[in-house]
Amino acid sequence: MIEIKGLNKYFPGRGRSEPVQALRDVDLTIRDNEFLTILGPSGCGKTTLLRNIAGLVPWDTGEILVDSQPVRGPSPERAMVFQNFALLPWSTVLANVAIGLEIRGEPRGPREAKARELIERVGLSGFEDRLPGELSGGMQQRVGLARALAVDPSVLLMDEPFGALDEQTRRLLQEELLRIWEQTPKTVVFITHSMEEAVLLGDRIVLMSARPGQVDDIIEVPLARPRSQHINELGESPEFASITTHLWTRLRSMQVLNT
Amino acid sequence: MTTSRGSKAVVQTTEAITGTQPVRRRARLRGWERAVGPVSLLAGAIAWEAIGQALDVSVFPPLSAVLGRLGELLADGTILGYLATSVTNLAIGFAVALVFGLTLGVLMGVYRRVEMALDIYVRAMLTAPSLVFAPIFFTLFGLDRITIVGVIVLYSTFIIVLNTAEAVKTAPRSLVEMARCYGAGDRFVLRRVILPSATPLIMAGVRLGAGRAVKGMINGEMFVAVVGLGGVVMTAGRNFDAETVLAVMTLIIVLAFMVVWLVERLDRRLTAWLPETNRA
Repeated sequence: MIEIKGLNKYFPGRGRSEPVQALRDVDLTIRDNEFLTILGPSGCGKTTLLRNIAGLVPWDTGEILVDSQPVRGPSPERAMVFQNFALLPWSTVLANVAIGLEIRGEPRGPREAKARELIERVGLSGFEDRLPGELSGGMQQRVGLARALAVDPSVLLMDEPFGALDEQTRRLLQEELLRIWEQTPKTVVFITHSMEEAVLLGDRIVLMSARPGQVDDIIEVPLARPRSQHINELGESPEFASITTHLWTRLRSMQVLNT
Repeated sequence: MTTSRGSKAVVQTTEAITGTQPVRRRARLRGWERAVGPVSLLAGAIAWEAIGQALDVSVFPPLSAVLGRLGELLADGTILGYLATSVTNLAIGFAVALVFGLTLGVLMGVYRRVEMALDIYVRAMLTAPSLVFAPIFFTLFGLDRITIVGVIVLYSTFIIVLNTAEAVKTAPRSLVEMARCYGAGDRFVLRRVILPSATPLIMAGVRLGAGRAVKGMINGEMFVAVVGLGGVVMTAGRNFDAETVLAVMTLIIVLAFMVVWLVERLDRRLTAWLPETNRA
């Protein structure tokens, strides 16, 4: 379980201007093995929140507990998938997937065996010795996903992981991610700016508003699981339509206030 | 690799890029285009020969005379000893420059305080005509090898420092963050993220450094005037022996090409992961 309590985060202002508040009084509890999507307009601090949970950047007040332990820095228990993939261009797919294990100090044999297993799970068998530059965007993010899964984390932190992909590739990877998550459940915190994606993937949606970023609403998604086999039908369902309408109304009012 | 950041090192690297490869990327060479280089070389050789023959003056001997002289020098072995001295000086000097240049560059790139402290000196030494230090070395070490090696080191080190520091500083933050996220420490980040990403720009600096090392070797030897190929050139010059001067010059150019070729081969090996379109 991840508990976020009264989180506040400021960024120093440029020059002599006042500090900018990025997050205000964020309270959020994320259940074990829950698929939580975080949706909000740009500048709402959703990525900052994710990086706080990852332990990559500090916050100012409040606390984050993972299984009752305060977060003090990065941990392989919380693996991150990045929007820009963040693959090492000089390393093969195999070495990229194995990097978490390499950092952990695992010897070459076992870590490559584990990496091959995950490469197969994300459907990239046969590409082990390729370089990232030789792969399409969708394949690169599969590598990013395999890399995160390889360290066997209890929490998967995903920062708009499919944001840079085209529509079809995005849909394929959504299905793939759901399939993997259904087979081996773990807590997923998934940032997105797509309403559709937030609804189709999430058990709950955290809606954030901007300036300063705060939790605006938390919405339960009543769509049945498992969903990986019929994402398309779900996208046509009345439940889907009513949630997206609700989300859009909220997002629209935020945008109006901001412009 | 050298786009976008618009930094000073990028300006430095273009010097090397224009020297060896086309500035603009063009379509694959057609068959006859491959012949342009050799034909141009041949035309130059013929022109040199013809003008030399026509002028018939001692200061501009024809190519055949120069090559003949080079043949003699190589055959009777007089020049081989000098060549060995020069190459040894070059190897030692360039090796020292590499060690200093890479170490200092990495330190400056990683630690901002080291950079703030040393940047002004590195830039000063890069702009200063390194040969002015030759008399000082000569006074200190006389005809010892250290004099020449010192000049080579001064010629070659600072461009390597500057490029290395810039390369290390511009390592992609997203990759560093990725490694940190998976629990990597400073040493891992340096070894597996920063240094590999910096390699192309570092190698551009090494390539420039190699060229400068050859210049430093010749200039240093010409100043000291009695050692190595530079010494041969000085002696021949004083005797108005243009054939020998040009023969040795040809040899030096070939030597410089070989050094740069070796560095480029190393570069290709180290940066094989770069897509062809990203090559400088």
